[in-house]
Amino acid sequence: MQLQFNVIDADSHAQVHKDAFTSRMSAARFGERIPHLIETDEGHQRWIVNGKRVSDSGVSNCPAVMDDHFRTRQPQRWEEVPAPVYDPLARLRVMDEDGVDVEVLFPNPPIQGAAFLQGDAEFELACVRAYNDAMFEWRRASDRYVPLGLIPYLSGAAVAAAEVERIAQLGMRGIDVVAEPGIVAHPGQIFLSSFAEEAAHIPHFSDPGWDPLWAACQANAISIHWHVNGQLPLPVPRWPAYTLGQNRVLVPGPICTMMAQFIPHLLFSGVLERFPRLQWVLTETGMGFIQYIVEACDREWERMRLWSEGILTRPSELLRRQLYGTVWYEQNGIKSRAVLGCDRIMFQVDYPHNTSIYPRTHQAIETVLAGLPQAEREAILWRNAARLYGLQISE
Amino acid sequence: MNFISVDDHVVEAPDLWTRRLSFQRWGARIPHLESASDGSQEWIVDGVRVPLLGNGSVGALMRDPLASPRTWAEVPRAAYDPALRLRALDDDGVDYSVLYPAVAGVAGETFARVIKDPELELACVQAYNDWLIEEWAGLNSRFIAQCLVPLTPVAAAVGELRRAVGRGHRGLIFPAVPSMVRESAPHINDPCYDPIWRACEELAVPVCFHAGCAPQLQLPHYPGYSSRLNVAFEALTRPVSCVLPLTNLLLSQILERFPALKVVFGESALGWLGFDLETTEWFFATYALADQIAYKLGPIQAFRRQCFAVAWYDGNLGVLERACEFPGVENLLWSTNFPLAISSWPNSREQRAAVAAKLPPDQRDRIFWSNAAALYHLG
Repeated sequence: MQLQFNVIDADSHAQVHKDAFTSRMSAARFGERIPHLIETDEGHQRWIVNGKRVSDSGVSNCPAVMDDHFRTRQPQRWEEVPAPVYDPLARLRVMDEDGVDVEVLFPNPPIQGAAFLQGDAEFELACVRAYNDAMFEWRRASDRYVPLGLIPYLSGAAVAAAEVERIAQLGMRGIDVVAEPGIVAHPGQIFLSSFAEEAAHIPHFSDPGWDPLWAACQANAISIHWHVNGQLPLPVPRWPAYTLGQNRVLVPGPICTMMAQFIPHLLFSGVLERFPRLQWVLTETGMGFIQYIVEACDREWERMRLWSEGILTRPSELLRRQLYGTVWYEQNGIKSRAVLGCDRIMFQVDYPHNTSIYPRTHQAIETVLAGLPQAEREAILWRNAARLYGLQISE
Repeated sequence: MNFISVDDHVVEAPDLWTRRLSFQRWGARIPHLESASDGSQEWIVDGVRVPLLGNGSVGALMRDPLASPRTWAEVPRAAYDPALRLRALDDDGVDYSVLYPAVAGVAGETFARVIKDPELELACVQAYNDWLIEEWAGLNSRFIAQCLVPLTPVAAAVGELRRAVGRGHRGLIFPAVPSMVRESAPHINDPCYDPIWRACEELAVPVCFHAGCAPQLQLPHYPGYSSRLNVAFEALTRPVSCVLPLTNLLLSQILERFPALKVVFGESALGWLGFDLETTEWFFATYALADQIAYKLGPIQAFRRQCFAVAWYDGNLGVLERACEFPGVENLLWSTNFPLAISSWPNSREQRAAVAAKLPPDQRDRIFWSNAAALYHLG
């Protein structure tokens, strides 16, 4: 394909259609459990999954396109959702206006935090398959979309691996996962999250039982993404006098740096060594803290002689080989790009969330990438993503 | 002056509390050592078991960084003997050493966590505070004492702070997240703590939030890892657990209400700091928070005006140089972390020389001593 704007957006969000699940999942089997919108007594609509409300703020997460300076308004009924949020063809016009060639697509409601994790294993798998099929329709609509898939957690690694194989056959190029499936954040926390009573029984990320999943990803060149904090829990003591706005500002720094705490699992589990071609992507996590964990892991590796634990390669080498980061507002964070390498940083817009730089993507690019040599700009803005997602770009 | 280490730890003597608390009044509730059936020793604090070294360590002094002393006899003397400690300071070219506890908690949280009786809690922190002056700071002025206070009630905390500073303490150690140390403790933003911040301002002593008061802020260890990996995991996750208390402080407006209050984040490390400040500031602007709430200071301003991060290593990835630019060298401090396993002892001189080679002299001096000298009113 040819790029018009030379921007590949490594993280935006697609709203799955309100009928995506009801049109695909068996009513006979799952009935009212199928994710769908219900009418509330207040005249709103809400997403129900497995009989439970999964969001109380609206039917879609798209405050950047709801004419609200404070970016807190969510649509309360499906009719209020602007078409570009859920319609791939309408979205293309928005991308043209904003100057974005390609979007890598992450979930929106009703998928809280990269997973269903509700109900039983059969139900979860059906939801995941329906979601993945619905998302692939975006790719069918235009090659300007790289939709990411989800995996099931309740059925074990082999079933998750099978779904990876299936979506790879379709042509998907990556999955969005929870970082630590056994301790998924609970809805009582400030940040929206998935939940499951069953989550406590799911093996830890570092459990070698997950290897068939990583093997399937590696074999199919499926890269693995964590979004924001990968649903890692952070107990934030509630201060009742904080406004919603103050809580929204309080949370991002701390929850994103939870991924800094998680990265050692990537190293200590041996996954990077056992699957040396597997690529892992931090999206909407920010990049500025990556230097902390790369430096600290190298230091611990030396200090504690971690090669004696089978981590034979220096952590910074492993992370430079297999980790990607993304950037969208960090004028300061971008200065640490050499830690992972310029070939490992991608740019993102985060349309249509409240944190997105839409509709001023090119201004944000000029601000954040100011002064960078052309080759680095190109790498960050599109070459790295093109390489990772296997996009053939004709120049 | 060459170097002030702002974050070192003492290991408390086995008879610290038994000598100072009234046995008649408190009996077996007094913190003391007991031997288990396997011969290992641990502390019993008001009936609650606390490890021999609290949540501190003496790994720098052990042959094997994984080994931990099982009995008091195995604890290396430089951990608790001030005369030997002075020699360690000389090894490392340390002019002043600012002290934190071990048994009482690296973040000073043990008594707040395990003792329910406010009078006993007060007696224990007073004993620690007196011991630190009598046995350490009073012995040699190179030791900079910092005091503990009861978590609540606040009046007792302020009273003890004043008393301790009167005896020579130069800093206050306080748990960064009180409500995670003691369930009933109010949130740190609660104005009930204001008298403490006011007293710190008046007495010109910094409040020191050391990493590790609340393990809930760190990801749990994986049971499938070896102890070596778990020790490494702890060392990696503890510093970055400062992010939440720091971010909250910057939004709480405590720093606006107490503009002369200085806050030190012990064992914070540097690499994540710029990220948290930039991110918090960006969201502050994106959500137009200052339009809703009358903030005088944005997050970065508040940090720069009153907060300090503590570093103790440099990995040659440019982290320190970038931190000197943002948030700025005025907010950076350095330590040897003696005698924790992560300590740079006995190679601190070489380490500092390598760092100094990369920084202009004025930046080097600020980080290694002049910021700390101003903070603690030294030299």
